[in-house]
Amino acid sequence: MSLLAELQKSFCDALRTAEAPDGALLAMLQDDDLALQRFQVYRNNFIVLNGDALADMFPVVKRLVGEEAFRVLATAYVRQHPPRDRTLLLYGDLFADFLQAIPELSELPYLSDVARLEFAWTAAYHAADAHPLQPDQLQDLSEEAFAGLQLRLHPSLQLLASDFPIHRIWSVNQSDDTDELISLDEGACRLIVVRPDNEVQVRVVPQGEFEFVKRLLASATIGEAFEATSQTDPQFDLGQFFSRHLFDGTFCAM
Amino acid sequence: METIHKSGRKPTPVPIRAGAGLKPQHYQSVIEDQPDIGWFEIHPENYMGRGGPPLRYLEKIRQDYPISLHSVGTSLGSHLPLDRQHLQQLKRLVDRFEPGLVSEHLSWSHGYEWYTHDLMPLVYTEESLQLMVEHIDQVQEHLQRQILIENPSSYLQFKASEMPEQVFYVEAAKRSGAGLLVDVNNVFVSCTNHGWNIDDYLSAIPISLIGEIHLSGHSVQQVEGRTLRIDDHGSPVCSEVWTLYQQFISRFGLAPTLIEWDSNIPEFPQLLEEVSGAQSLMDGVAETEVRNVVTG
Repeated sequence: MSLLAELQKSFCDALRTAEAPDGALLAMLQDDDLALQRFQVYRNNFIVLNGDALADMFPVVKRLVGEEAFRVLATAYVRQHPPRDRTLLLYGDLFADFLQAIPELSELPYLSDVARLEFAWTAAYHAADAHPLQPDQLQDLSEEAFAGLQLRLHPSLQLLASDFPIHRIWSVNQSDDTDELISLDEGACRLIVVRPDNEVQVRVVPQGEFEFVKRLLASATIGEAFEATSQTDPQFDLGQFFSRHLFDGTFCAM
Repeated sequence: METIHKSGRKPTPVPIRAGAGLKPQHYQSVIEDQPDIGWFEIHPENYMGRGGPPLRYLEKIRQDYPISLHSVGTSLGSHLPLDRQHLQQLKRLVDRFEPGLVSEHLSWSHGYEWYTHDLMPLVYTEESLQLMVEHIDQVQEHLQRQILIENPSSYLQFKASEMPEQVFYVEAAKRSGAGLLVDVNNVFVSCTNHGWNIDDYLSAIPISLIGEIHLSGHSVQQVEGRTLRIDDHGSPVCSEVWTLYQQFISRFGLAPTLIEWDSNIPEFPQLLEEVSGAQSLMDGVAETEVRNVVTG
């Protein structure tokens, strides 16, 4: 292995661990009695810069656990899952699972779902743009042809279901000024996250709408998705759903 | 420093004025207030999403200002090959936004299967220099234009280094045909952290290669009774760096000068104040030059 490869690999190992860097690395540095502290500047910068990216991505999680605890969690995450991408735009894709696996956080059972919502928001923000479906694209279709259509959902659209009232938790904690309490008895919620244009929308939706969109996402035709949804939720009103969402950017041009 | 696209279109040149790093927090102010400032610089990696508002804001701002792309993800100094996909994304942004300048760092961030994102220090050997030159060549070849390379802020030195940083820096540019982005704050930070002589450092720099200047704030830490300066882009430019900047432009002449402010990001007016500070020093030097021509 070349000197450069060896040096960069051992440097990376030492950046990632919480332990003191190994002697071989320190032996490669010019020593003025500060070699270790000088190395620590890089390690600290690595942890802080990537931890800051997580703090930007998960502001509500940070507010829920507090600044100090968040730093500890972020540092552990950066060490366990260093960035795999050239950009930090979507760094933290495993943060929700990471939080869920931490026993000390079991008193905040909703925390990982809040993290999922925050990640979904940013993923929608940076997702591909698309032109909304236009009425003239569906003109002159027979009822049968319409039922046989596979609609294209906006590339930013994501579905999120939680056993906890995460939408309320998330909205109330958008600002630091609130001390409103939310009872977990408010129960489960189902969300659609989508960015039809410039603004990311987080919609709380009934079960039927959620199931219907989920089937469309899995490439079902309108007819198939409606039939399957009616079986689990006979209340689902397809006409009302389409009157609100068929041309509002939830679906994109075919 | 002018480059022409394959399409034959010219990118809007970055003027010899002061500019600012563009931050999402300031998109609205820039679009609504149209501040009188020469140009903006962006990190292309922040615009490598598939779509969304950042690209739209940039599109809008680009209509009114020249921009420069200052990349942080190429990892020119890495022992690993450059990432073709990243280069393609960079090229797409260059084609779409037609920046006046494109730059990268004398550094590495890809040493393993993952990325540090922070800029890591190089060992200044011939092996490392050859690799740096090859990688700069590949980027310039791919983008079909010259890039500038920036001197790092550094905190440690490797025993294996065979030449001073400034020799490596200038040699990398000369051999690859790149230009220099001289970060005056980094010169100050590295020289004080290592006890290097600032004048020796600057004397190695050929005037003809300078394409851009960076200025930023740094923090000061006391470590076991000694001072380490940390380049964190999180505060106003300090008085020593302003002085060094004034000496620099008096000696080397003017170049587009950027205020970088990337952490503890201030309200837009405070950033503008820093930009005006750089602009006044530039105007002062320009006036002196004119006077010298007239009287001399």
